Amino acid sequence: MTETLVLVAERRTESGKGSARKLRASGFVPAVVYGHNRETQSLAVAHVELDKVLHRIARGSTVFDLTVDGQTVQALIREIQRHPTKKTVTHLDFYEIHAGESITLDVPITLEGSPEGVRNAGGVLEQFLRALEIEVLPRDIPEHVVVDVTNLGIGRSLHVSDITVPNAKVLSDPHSTICTVVPPRVEEEPVPELAEEEAAEPELIRKAREGEEESEEGEAAGE
Amino acid sequence: MLAPKRVKYRKQMKGRTKGHATRGNSVAFGHVGLMTLDPGWITSRQIEAARVAMTRVMKRGGRIWIRIFPDKPITKKPAETRMGKGKGNPEGWVAVVKPGRVMFELEGVSEDVARSALSHAATKLPVKTRIITREDG
Repeated sequence: MTETLVLVAERRTESGKGSARKLRASGFVPAVVYGHNRETQSLAVAHVELDKVLHRIARGSTVFDLTVDGQTVQALIREIQRHPTKKTVTHLDFYEIHAGESITLDVPITLEGSPEGVRNAGGVLEQFLRALEIEVLPRDIPEHVVVDVTNLGIGRSLHVSDITVPNAKVLSDPHSTICTVVPPRVEEEPVPELAEEEAAEPELIRKAREGEEESEEGEAAGE
Repeated sequence: MLAPKRVKYRKQMKGRTKGHATRGNSVAFGHVGLMTLDPGWITSRQIEAARVAMTRVMKRGGRIWIRIFPDKPITKKPAETRMGKGKGNPEGWVAVVKPGRVMFELEGVSEDVARSALSHAATKLPVKTRIITREDG
């Protein structure tokens, strides 16, 4: 089981972008909590509190003790919305979990070790899958799925079917590639015909209208 | 240089760039990326110059993703031409970017090398930029 963090939230009665903006200006982040057999509830979380916990957790797989009006529930973060440039949190989704109910969640994949193809042949390790979808009981949620890539040579890949997660059912497609070691890139030769390429205009998908080309030629001549 | 193979119309209107990038605003392929903080037009030459700059710093390692494509034709009138007589001829291609757009991403090199490569790429671009990592969101 991953570490449990405590977060205090306030109930929020107003909704809509106007009230959400006022809330953000006063140092809070609008949030919502939902889950199985419960009413969806709008919340507000202090920005300072959130910043303290968010930077040191695996966001999708950390269980929070979420306290609202004195009542504590266990919840996961389901979604974090951020500002496009400032990257500050603008909204949070919490998902309430129950001890006996299995849940579906994405757990981050961490690659461990330096692959043989990178060490000896100068290859590049490319990671395609960053999170694994699993079904698991809350007490068994892993913080990360650690994958050992030490033995991967050039052109070799690891697939979802190659890994197992204890006490969990893997839901991701077993044929999906997690990572592969690709050969080193060959230096590209400079292309000498740049000028020609620039001058060439792309082909039109539609048919050119009657007289379009002629009129343009006429314009050029007029200039 | 990047350019479309086929287009529906030869010329486009300038347009105006409002708001932030609502898509393509997070690191999706590599582990570190270069984000624009300004709206603007990035020409195919600038994209190519940035790519070459990054490749030089990274030498042979790593992988680059270019997440913008110059699909907007830019026209220009010939030199010493009087105004009027219609719109000029297509002269190049630009990618329209809004603040927040992640333009380049890198993978397979150390964070220091990646940051150095992206800094070099940033000097080739007409917009203010910021280097962001996957952890930044």
